[in-house]
Amino acid sequence: MSIVTVQLGQCGNQIGFEVFDALLRDSQSSHGLCCKRENEAYQASCKERFFSEEENGVPVARAVLVDMEPKVINQTLSKAAQSGRWKYGQHACFCQKQGSGNNWAYGYSVHGPRHEESIMNLIRKEVEKCDSFSGFFIIMSMAGGTGSGIGAFVTQNLQDQYSNSLKMNQIIWPYGTGEVIVQNYNSILTLSHLYRSSDALLVHENDAVHKICAKLMNIKQISFSDINQVLAHQLGSVFQPTYSAESSFHYRRNPLGDLMEHLVPHPEFKMLSVRNVPHMSENSLAYSTFTWAGLLKHLRQMLISNAKMEEGIDWHVRPPSSGLPSLGKKSLNKDLHFNTSIANLVILRGKDVQSADVEGFKDPALYTSWLEPVNAFNVWKTQRAFSKYEKSAVLVSNSQFLVKPLDMIVGKAWNMFASKAYIHQYTKFGIEEEDFLDSFTSLEQVVASYCNL
Amino acid sequence: MRGRRVDPAAGARAGALPEAIAALSRSLPSGPSPEIFRRAKFDRPDATSALWQLLFRVLSPLPAGSALASIALEVQARLVKSALCSQGYPRLALAQLPEDGSQGSRELLLALSWLLARGPVPEQMLAQTRVPLGDEMTVCQCDALASLGPPAPHMETEGPVDVRHVQWLMGKLRFRWRQLVSSQQEQCALLSKIHLYTHGCHSDQSLGHLSVTEAEMLRDPEGGQQVSGVGAAQNLDLAYPKGLHFCTPGMGPRTFWNDLWLVCEQPGLLPGDWAAPLDPGGASACSLLFPLRVLLRTLEQENRRLEAVLAWRRTELVFWQWMDTVLGTCAPEAPAAASQPTFLPWVPECGDGELELVVRELQTLEEELREAAERRRVAWEAKARGCGRGPEWSATRRASQETVEKELGALQRRWEQDSGPAQAHGPHRLVRREDGAAGDRDLRAAELIRTLRSQEACLEAMLHQLQGQCRQELARVAGALPGLIWIPPPGR
Repeated sequence: MSIVTVQLGQCGNQIGFEVFDALLRDSQSSHGLCCKRENEAYQASCKERFFSEEENGVPVARAVLVDMEPKVINQTLSKAAQSGRWKYGQHACFCQKQGSGNNWAYGYSVHGPRHEESIMNLIRKEVEKCDSFSGFFIIMSMAGGTGSGIGAFVTQNLQDQYSNSLKMNQIIWPYGTGEVIVQNYNSILTLSHLYRSSDALLVHENDAVHKICAKLMNIKQISFSDINQVLAHQLGSVFQPTYSAESSFHYRRNPLGDLMEHLVPHPEFKMLSVRNVPHMSENSLAYSTFTWAGLLKHLRQMLISNAKMEEGIDWHVRPPSSGLPSLGKKSLNKDLHFNTSIANLVILRGKDVQSADVEGFKDPALYTSWLEPVNAFNVWKTQRAFSKYEKSAVLVSNSQFLVKPLDMIVGKAWNMFASKAYIHQYTKFGIEEEDFLDSFTSLEQVVASYCNL
Repeated sequence: MRGRRVDPAAGARAGALPEAIAALSRSLPSGPSPEIFRRAKFDRPDATSALWQLLFRVLSPLPAGSALASIALEVQARLVKSALCSQGYPRLALAQLPEDGSQGSRELLLALSWLLARGPVPEQMLAQTRVPLGDEMTVCQCDALASLGPPAPHMETEGPVDVRHVQWLMGKLRFRWRQLVSSQQEQCALLSKIHLYTHGCHSDQSLGHLSVTEAEMLRDPEGGQQVSGVGAAQNLDLAYPKGLHFCTPGMGPRTFWNDLWLVCEQPGLLPGDWAAPLDPGGASACSLLFPLRVLLRTLEQENRRLEAVLAWRRTELVFWQWMDTVLGTCAPEAPAAASQPTFLPWVPECGDGELELVVRELQTLEEELREAAERRRVAWEAKARGCGRGPEWSATRRASQETVEKELGALQRRWEQDSGPAQAHGPHRLVRREDGAAGDRDLRAAELIRTLRSQEACLEAMLHQLQGQCRQELARVAGALPGLIWIPPPGR
């Protein structure tokens, strides 16, 4: 079933390009370590999901590009066309001449309603092209004005018009020391609105990805393009075809639906994060070998200790031993920074994948008390390797990963709000103080729910 | 069962009884052999499991399939008992039978004949396993609430349940529901494509295009060859989902027909060549015939079942005569009158006193409404008297009269629609046609959609009302507890 991607703002468009590129390049690669027929099925499945076929055979990305400035969209369109392997639809983009000035309220209350019809028309055309439509993948940043404000508006509209379709928002968490002064305001407004209208919030933190580029990929001058490629690699390893549970002869048809059903059925717990191993530069890849046991051990510890990448993991953090009462468990968690999970999905790709042992993830101590590991943990195994990695594992997790960053942002935003700094820029465009208070309330609620696991 | 009059002349012919039982056995799907019936009369244990399985097939609401066969005998027996109980089966002995199939075949035989006496069981079974050639959709306008089953038994949970777990499960159900809707939309899109691309291909002009089954038979002759032991009807069932996905998303008409004609363009398939003798090397010449042969076989099977049902109806008197003797061999039942209410479906007690109360309430309501209407009319007339009588006034009056008449008319139509005769019920074949070409007895999709939409609007209004009531109740409860801050969950 097909997924329609909505790329919003500078961030969304740049990342979207990298994602489509990574997906297609992987599906067309010959390093799949599988037979030709298998490869063809993989390609076909990837194509059906993300691309539509045009007369001359060049795949067209199922995407709608939205930005309030023309520069980034034009760059994105031309980069895609230049690659020769795929392209965006001719009439799939919408842009204006003026930006949003990093003002969430401007994006949400002015740009959104003004351009609602045009944007929703574009989306509708893209959805109509799909014979079987599963849902939306919306890429946006949280801190700016366009992506965040219009993103929140568009997601709300999608909720109204396509209430049966799934919606996953890919959100870029800004740098802690970001350049935009009001990024915390923008962030809390975005998150609180999305929590109401979206089904799942897949979060990538700029700080974390930056570290991956620096430490694991050894890139000296890290550009946005490097960061976006790391992101695209992670997303690709989640969304490329995987076998369905019932039979290992068909790639599953609705990965978005299956993922959401496993991870975010509870309305209070919608925040997902992604961790993948291994991740390294292509040069190092040629000289490395991996075992499933080693990879999974690292991944498990990354989950438990809330590590963002496979370097610098704190191996002292251990799950609380069973037998302790739940009260004891809570205090222990706070001391040792143990990350309790609600639900986890591990996707394994590559050689000898059937022999990979994931028993370590089924330990009840990893999970909250009200969900058994048999319900909380799922694993998808696929023979076909991803993007030249002989073996790769990715973890999509609904856990306490984001509690601390969220708490920090809410705290900072609250401090600014208490001194009424910059509020007039928002009230000018219709976002009142009450809207801020509502956002604070709902996010505090989210933080509390996650803390009480 | 007891009421059937025994007609001595009807069954006097020797061999009439075995004939009748054989007809019955042929008319039921996977019916047990006549020998089983004979053994059951003498309550032989080896006949028990076959009869449990037959009863399960008859009573189970699920369509036939391999899934049914894999259910354990104990589970089948339990389901049969509960189904018979909810239908009001009067004999206690059945409920007391052991579920392992060790004894009780005579009781089961009695239960089977009770079911046969109540309704046209072989005909119903036949309708269930019918071979659908066309793409079908079932239309059912029955009030969904009327079909609530017996109340579920109260289940004890082991210990307190975390509400978050329940919310989790609800969320999963919601996601499944949404996926179901998406799948249905996909099915509609693909069905529409097949109907569109095969327009003009069907020999039957009133249909005009192929159905999925027909297109699949043309495309995949090999699929029709996998005749499993159970019956060819299953292959056509399998053909349906396969055929649907052969029309892959994104497929255009050219690709569709390319695939289809690859089969037909093989040498030797042109009509002239069919007269040529078939040789083993000419497999390609026969390949188009295989799916048709499968279809023929299936239809012949169905015909045989139909004939069996007719034969059964001709000879069933003999069967009932025989069943009386079976009943005679049973020990007389202990007076079951005292415990009978347990087996009958629960009928709510509605004494006269309640009815009177309701009548009185209605009368009071009518009085109040009449008074209120009177008051309003008086007030309005007083106001209207003050207005002018110019042409604008009469124009406004006419306009408002018309609106009122229209609204009343709409209300009346809605009422008639709701309480009118039952709409067409049951499976219908989906046919794509140009506008206006539909026959008299055909249902138009647009009309159905309109009816469904108005029903949806009613239900939504009801939902909003109930939600409002819930909210008020919650606010009242929250307000009663001092110091409690109520934070509503995220949502609008």
